[in-house]
Amino acid sequence: MTEQIDKALAREYEAGFVSAVESETFEPGLDEDVIRRISEVKGEPEWMLEWRLNAFRVWQEMEEPDWAHVSYPKIDFQAVSYYSAPKSMKDKPKSLDEVDPELLRTYEKLGIPLVEQQMLAGVAVDAVFDSVSVVTTFREKLEEAGVIFCPISEALHKYPDLVKKYLGSVVPTKDNFFAALNCAVFTDGSFVYIPKGTRCPMELSTYFRINEQNTGQFERTLIIADEGSYVSYLEGCTAPQRDENQLHAAVVELVAMDDAEIKYSTVQNWYPGDEEGKGGIYNFVTKRGVCHTNAKISWTQVETGSSVTWKYPSCVLKGDNSVGEFYSVALTRGRQQADTGTKMIHIGKNTKSTIISKGISAGKSNNAYRGLVRMNPGAEGARNFTQCDSLLIGDQCGAHTFPYVESRNPSAIVEHEATTSKVSDDQMFLCRQRGVDPEKAVSMIVNGFCKEVFKELPMEFAVEAGKLLEISLEGSVG
Amino acid sequence: MSEWLQQAIARADSIQDGFEDQRAASLALLKDIKWPTRKTEAWKYTPLRAVERSAAIFKEESPELDPVAVEGLEFLELTFVDGQLVSLPEELPEGLSIEMQESSLFGTIKPERHIFGLVNDVLAADVAVVTVAEGVVVEQMLRINNLLSNGAQGHIRVVVDLKAGSSLKVVENAEGQGASLTTAFTEYQIGVEANLEHYRFALQSGDNVAVGGSHFKLFENAVMNSSIIGFGSDLQRIDTDIIYAGEKANAKLNAIYLLDGKELFDLHANVEHAVPNCTTEENIRGIAGDNSRAVFNGRIHIHRDAQKTLAELNNRNLLMSNKAEINTKPELEIYADDVRCAHGATIAQIDKQALYYLQTRGVSRSQAQLMLSFGFINELIDQMPTVELAEWVRPIIRDRFAQMEVK
Repeated sequence: MTEQIDKALAREYEAGFVSAVESETFEPGLDEDVIRRISEVKGEPEWMLEWRLNAFRVWQEMEEPDWAHVSYPKIDFQAVSYYSAPKSMKDKPKSLDEVDPELLRTYEKLGIPLVEQQMLAGVAVDAVFDSVSVVTTFREKLEEAGVIFCPISEALHKYPDLVKKYLGSVVPTKDNFFAALNCAVFTDGSFVYIPKGTRCPMELSTYFRINEQNTGQFERTLIIADEGSYVSYLEGCTAPQRDENQLHAAVVELVAMDDAEIKYSTVQNWYPGDEEGKGGIYNFVTKRGVCHTNAKISWTQVETGSSVTWKYPSCVLKGDNSVGEFYSVALTRGRQQADTGTKMIHIGKNTKSTIISKGISAGKSNNAYRGLVRMNPGAEGARNFTQCDSLLIGDQCGAHTFPYVESRNPSAIVEHEATTSKVSDDQMFLCRQRGVDPEKAVSMIVNGFCKEVFKELPMEFAVEAGKLLEISLEGSVG
Repeated sequence: MSEWLQQAIARADSIQDGFEDQRAASLALLKDIKWPTRKTEAWKYTPLRAVERSAAIFKEESPELDPVAVEGLEFLELTFVDGQLVSLPEELPEGLSIEMQESSLFGTIKPERHIFGLVNDVLAADVAVVTVAEGVVVEQMLRINNLLSNGAQGHIRVVVDLKAGSSLKVVENAEGQGASLTTAFTEYQIGVEANLEHYRFALQSGDNVAVGGSHFKLFENAVMNSSIIGFGSDLQRIDTDIIYAGEKANAKLNAIYLLDGKELFDLHANVEHAVPNCTTEENIRGIAGDNSRAVFNGRIHIHRDAQKTLAELNNRNLLMSNKAEINTKPELEIYADDVRCAHGATIAQIDKQALYYLQTRGVSRSQAQLMLSFGFINELIDQMPTVELAEWVRPIIRDRFAQMEVK
């Protein structure tokens, strides 16, 4: 069995190729001039530059957080390049035919349904390559429905009022160290606006990829679902295999107006580093949504990549009867470290939240759930249910749970439960007795363990997530 | 650094009683420790304003105080008044000794960097060392009384050493009058196959400040059973650590907190499973009414080698008022794979259907509420091994509920 484990653990990161795309990259370093340059390259309005500079000043005053259950060498923020764009982007492509074929090949390798596949999949993709949005597909069809789906840099020009109104309204500049950094240097990302009463005709999707060496990726996503609308949004990420650590500090803001619903799904497969923990992505992400009356936000995430993950997609349940959901599968192996979870802030009456978190640790990794459920005094009749299960594979890994539960309303009900176990010998025995080989058995058991979360994912993502898990787990149980 | 801490350090610097060496390391640590704020994880929900504002003084002369009587029980009394040891049992059963001396166990079981633990290290005047000889079973209960007069400050420390195969029952009893401040730490070493039955009662409320801890280290096949019952006060904080140093040891901790008025109660329970095959069971229940704030932190840490561990923690809370607050944080930190580990936490109010059911049977609403909340707590009181103590504490709790109800 040990051999099998070794073999499986030595598996290569399949998205680890480097694309030979010529690119324009800023010298590493960060000061006000760099921010001015980013803003200039993007041709941003004056108020945006001011906003960035303000964020930069705030960031300089802040301390890097150290409370998460992760350890990594101190990041030298001056050694990171804050802007990298494929050169061929200079003259923006008008259609897919004009896009650098090398770039398209990259996406093809990654299996993003960019050209023909997308027709079948019916997915509109906004692909972010290093720091700029490459192309947004299906734009016309979306425009017909009144849906705005474009790079945020473009939205700044076309819909400045919307951006100005909502940017930073959910995750304020001062929120945390990495969010402040993102505010100062973010280069691109997606902007989505769903008009009143509209059901977005297709699933929207963003694909992020860090290609250039020594670059950080700081994207910013802003999704506004106006009254009574619905949108399902998918996000995927990969990066080439590199020896040094790369920084990814994104901010995602969701606004669900009255009666709106946003479903946000992520399959995160950044490069996790090698078996000794060399290289890999630092994934320090701030994601948060605000729910107004009767609105619903649902976060689903499958986290298998990154060497260090620090991520807490949250819901502020501001309006009465609003609903927040968080479904998560986090798998760590090798020397990966994950500290992930959610925050549910209940403000409105009869607000409801559900948290289902499944953590799987293998190899020498550490996997922590960290969550906060807060019932404010006004959260009359609010309800929360939290379940955190951890599965340990091997005796060199760690699984941790740090739930914070705060209640200030007697009519609110909060329930939290957590369990930790390993793949049981009984389960294995049963499978093997029926002729299932051990590897397959483990994969079956783990898939069953994660089922509650997978069923929340859109179909094509659920398939991808299942596969991802299977590959990651191959034979890692004895 | 707070003024209060500066004064404590200044006082410690001036004490000359022959135990300077025992204190030196703690004094050094205390001198560069940061005063906890809201950002200090262990004190996140527990502001220390009450300590900062406290005017409690070290009294030269203290009044005579007697601990409360418990019907049907005759204790071996070890009594401190305002931090000074005032009485020892006149006659000790064979195999039990209590001495004022340096102990090699001093400071080895409680956590090293607990700020008030360090204050206690340097300010506890008489450190009592209780030893139970190998194989000795002490039938009579030992009671450690920490009595404080009005406005007094006192710090007490007891080290209990249960040698292999011995058995002891201990009650830690705190009774403080108004505006007093105390730290009370006890360290227990429970030897191979030894057995400890432990109680900690903090049934004082009002404007007292009390910070303390009961810390346990268990060796092979050792067994402990602990019950903690606390009412809140201006500040009531209890830390407990259960550390396994030998296999197949077994610990059970039941805790209850009942809060009213503007009281604050904070319980931190930490379990260190450092060796395989040990079992922990923790049941914590609390009720917070009026303007009170309850804090619970229950950490279970399973080390790499601690395979075949069985650990369960259950924290259930009733929130009775719109202004009260409950903050709970059950933590699991697990580094071994072949373990069974679970925790659960709930916060809610009394089940409306149960209330309705009783009301349809002619029980008044307030009476029904009392019955249900008492039942919620009584489940744990019923588990107390010494029946006399359960009988004694029940009416006290009933009175407490009645008092909460009146508001």
